Amino acid sequence: MNHPAFSRDDQVYAPAEDTFLLRDAALREVRPDDRVLEVGCGSGAVAEALLERAASVTATDINPHAVRSARAHGVETVRSDLASGLRGPFDLVLFNPPYLPTAPEERLDDWLEYALDGGPSGRDTIERFAADVGRVLTPYGRILLLVSSLTGPAAVRDLFAALGYVVFVVAEERVEGEDLIVLRISRDLCRISAGTC
Amino acid sequence: MKRSLLPILCCPVCKGDLELRVDAEDGDEILEGTLWCGACAVAYPIRDGIPDLLPRDEQE
Repeated sequence: MNHPAFSRDDQVYAPAEDTFLLRDAALREVRPDDRVLEVGCGSGAVAEALLERAASVTATDINPHAVRSARAHGVETVRSDLASGLRGPFDLVLFNPPYLPTAPEERLDDWLEYALDGGPSGRDTIERFAADVGRVLTPYGRILLLVSSLTGPAAVRDLFAALGYVVFVVAEERVEGEDLIVLRISRDLCRISAGTC
Repeated sequence: MKRSLLPILCCPVCKGDLELRVDAEDGDEILEGTLWCGACAVAYPIRDGIPDLLPRDEQE
């Protein structure tokens, strides 16, 4: 994603390799009775692909152009900062976050910034997501999170582990000098059941 | 938004229940209306079928 593509007209991140990697991982993961939430849905391409495959699909984005785009693809959308306006519960949560390390002087002052800017570490938005997602996730719920080798996947894994989750890599693809990775994240049920494992 | 969405929404600030007020609907789609948080005394708009649940001081 070093040369991200945008639709010039509507300020929405256009589907690219990262979109398709998350979409395909989601199609493998989703179950017919899942209530699915996609956070930061952008154009809506991932959520749209799941419409006939899940019990319900809801998508959020902070970008007003993005929620309009996703709704035009038939997805029920809510304008919200991550999952802040959602109560859930959701069985499957998908997120392709802004993950590019971005110094303050590199920031763009428009909606495109929200799709890319992960702060100095690349993990600012992922950290906010990780701290809150447990509020809307069912006990056996799963999260699919797209990250890049530029984001520090080990640090992302440690971040979720510290919050009581277990993390697996379920998809990987090398694209233009970076590795795109889909992490499957779920609660550590051994820890939930107070050390019975 | 469909009426069935309401139970899975909450106020983004206090996480409390929202009360739906419908101004325009088309079949089971609510096109225009308001989601009211009584605890915060804040109205979140529904426009063109999309609820806007950004905190009101973060509006652009």
